[in-house]
Amino acid sequence: MIHLDDISFTYAARHRGEHTPEVLKGCTLHVEAGQALAVMGATGAGKSTLSYVLAGLAPRHTGGRLSGSVVISGHNVAETPPPIGSVGLLFQDAATQLFNTTVEDEIAWGLEAMGLPPGEIGERVRASLARFELEPDRRRPPWALSGGQQKRLALAALSAMRPRVLILDEPWGGLDPHGRSDVHAAIESLQAAGTTLVLMTLRVETAARIGTVATLHDGELSEPAAAVDLLADEAALIASGLYLPTSAWPGLGPVHPLQDGPPAIEIRSLEFHYPSESGDTKALHGIDLTIPPGQFVAVVGPNGAGKSTLVRHFNGLLRPTHGTVSVLGQPIGRRSTGEMARQIGFLFQRPEQQLFAPTVREEVAYGPTQLGMEKADDHVQQVLRRFGLETVADSPPALLGYGAQRTVTLAALAALSTPIVVLDEPTVGLDGHGLMQLLTWLSDLRASGVTIVLITHEMALAARADRVIALEAGRVVNDGPPATVLTEQLKGE
Amino acid sequence: MTVVFDSYVPGSSWLHRLDPRVKLWCTLLGLIWVFILPGLGWQILFLTAIHLLLLAAGIPWWKLGQLWRQMAILIVLILLLQPYVHPAGPQIFAWGPLRLTLGGVLEALRLALRAIGIAFVMGTLLYTTSQPALVRAIVRLGLPYAWGLTISLALRFLPAIQSLYRTVRDAQASRGWIAHENLVRRIRSDIPVLVAVMIGTLRMSDQLTLALAARGLETMKTRTIWRDLHMSSRDWAIAVTFTVGMLVFLWWRWTMP
Repeated sequence: MIHLDDISFTYAARHRGEHTPEVLKGCTLHVEAGQALAVMGATGAGKSTLSYVLAGLAPRHTGGRLSGSVVISGHNVAETPPPIGSVGLLFQDAATQLFNTTVEDEIAWGLEAMGLPPGEIGERVRASLARFELEPDRRRPPWALSGGQQKRLALAALSAMRPRVLILDEPWGGLDPHGRSDVHAAIESLQAAGTTLVLMTLRVETAARIGTVATLHDGELSEPAAAVDLLADEAALIASGLYLPTSAWPGLGPVHPLQDGPPAIEIRSLEFHYPSESGDTKALHGIDLTIPPGQFVAVVGPNGAGKSTLVRHFNGLLRPTHGTVSVLGQPIGRRSTGEMARQIGFLFQRPEQQLFAPTVREEVAYGPTQLGMEKADDHVQQVLRRFGLETVADSPPALLGYGAQRTVTLAALAALSTPIVVLDEPTVGLDGHGLMQLLTWLSDLRASGVTIVLITHEMALAARADRVIALEAGRVVNDGPPATVLTEQLKGE
Repeated sequence: MTVVFDSYVPGSSWLHRLDPRVKLWCTLLGLIWVFILPGLGWQILFLTAIHLLLLAAGIPWWKLGQLWRQMAILIVLILLLQPYVHPAGPQIFAWGPLRLTLGGVLEALRLALRAIGIAFVMGTLLYTTSQPALVRAIVRLGLPYAWGLTISLALRFLPAIQSLYRTVRDAQASRGWIAHENLVRRIRSDIPVLVAVMIGTLRMSDQLTLALAARGLETMKTRTIWRDLHMSSRDWAIAVTFTVGMLVFLWWRWTMP
């Protein structure tokens, strides 16, 4: 079904004289009809590029140079685009591939493009809505769905076209456990229907679920092998940056006893309403919390539970509808988010989207300069060294690879040297190297007595915190030591 | 993500069910009407009728109030400035070269009501017609599919770009940015945000190109339409009634002494 022979790919240079390395180097792969294969690779290994090549999009729509042959069900997709509906591609960020204004129109779009009669389109749309459990959302706009629902919708739109080959790029990335199991069920049903699947991932557990795995390392693709054999060689996985077992994590336990003094964060009767078309939507329902200085707190809960809404109150990005928020003993009151930056460092979801400075150095220096830090230049230089960014200090951050961009965002946060740090899902999209870098920094923060509040779906990381707060539907449903709270959470799932 | 570009209020009233091509035609007639209504009384009658029509179609009061609020600044500006532009009739008071006259005030009222009338005619279309239906109508009226798709994509991605701007601004604020009182400094501080948004938008557009190609935009056969528009006898009746009504009004308006 899929025959890749000696494929090499290089992206076009952005300017004259720029050397662009080969992203894929002599890759060969054969997948029989109805089989499923996981391609496992670290950040920047070339997984997305391989997806584009398989789907016939690269180099046709990406630019660049492709050599070798790519034959999908007898059709050379390197020469001409695959026949409509024969190959489907689920993007890493499913939201970017949804471009219609309602869920059912999203599913119908491809079928209309295939020129199917309206009656058949209607039948396929209804079947897809039912199969991917999207019937209640059929008239909602795709952008109003949760991350898990968006992935299911993208899969529904693709599967309605009945492709013989489906390529899935990180289908579980950024999803909570519920979302992951939803998408997993959807993929299983496609597998059962005989669709040939190629699944790109940087997660060992995802690869293990598929059964057959090939690794992509520095653009070179290994022979597919049984997942159990490949995963048995843990040392090789760690060395290639694919995996970081919890046994290799740096210590995240408290170094000093909790400090005296006013609470780092104190919240009383916090309520928050989002204004919406149908009036107000209550996102937080009377939350009370006290986080002592130096504590490491993990906030867990399903997508839409109100985790991000809660932490956005800590630095004034959101203001309470009712209740109060105090930081280091002082009510936030009317203080702006910019003023709060002296006390709270904040890492957003998808931080790489928020890089705005012309060079890495200026990006890292932005915070210290805005806050008027003394000896800001020396401090920035130290931070650049600490995160290994000296060699790219004068490069535009927007043009760096994904992994390097994530490092820049961490460095920019570290440069603020705040006594409290809030991180919103910082592990999403990180490979073993990226995770190690994040954990080492968190370990350093713990040693310096910094208060850490971290939103995560990674239970292994939450288990390392001093305390876990579980949110559901805008309420704290559990709060206590990780062993107690996480056991309850697992029971709930 | 805030969706400020979609005003549609889902419903199943006869106005919602009316063929969107008829609604587009009636909107055009309504706009002409707004410009040819002969006096304040007629304008108030017209606006009252539209309000009643929208309420009968299940559009909530607060939605109408929202449109009034959106128009408020424009209305206030018209009422404050227009009377001095064309002074006419008895003088109410004078201050230096500025003369407030009864004719000027009435003219300002007429202009303000006209602006509100335009907003409510457009509102009637947008509150009762979903974006896909609107795009389908435009395509079925003869616009090439690529144009319809472009409109649809713009409607889809404008909120995404708006959200990206807010995200970058929040990220900057979290690193110490404080809004300047000074407008020039404020605009200067906006430049890096706009650069980040532009880069984000270009990335989004690259992804969109790939997404469209992956779903077969370049290889598509003759495109079919899942839920094509069909003019019912009621749609025809309403289109004809509105057209005849407009012609009768025009005849009366121009033959009126």
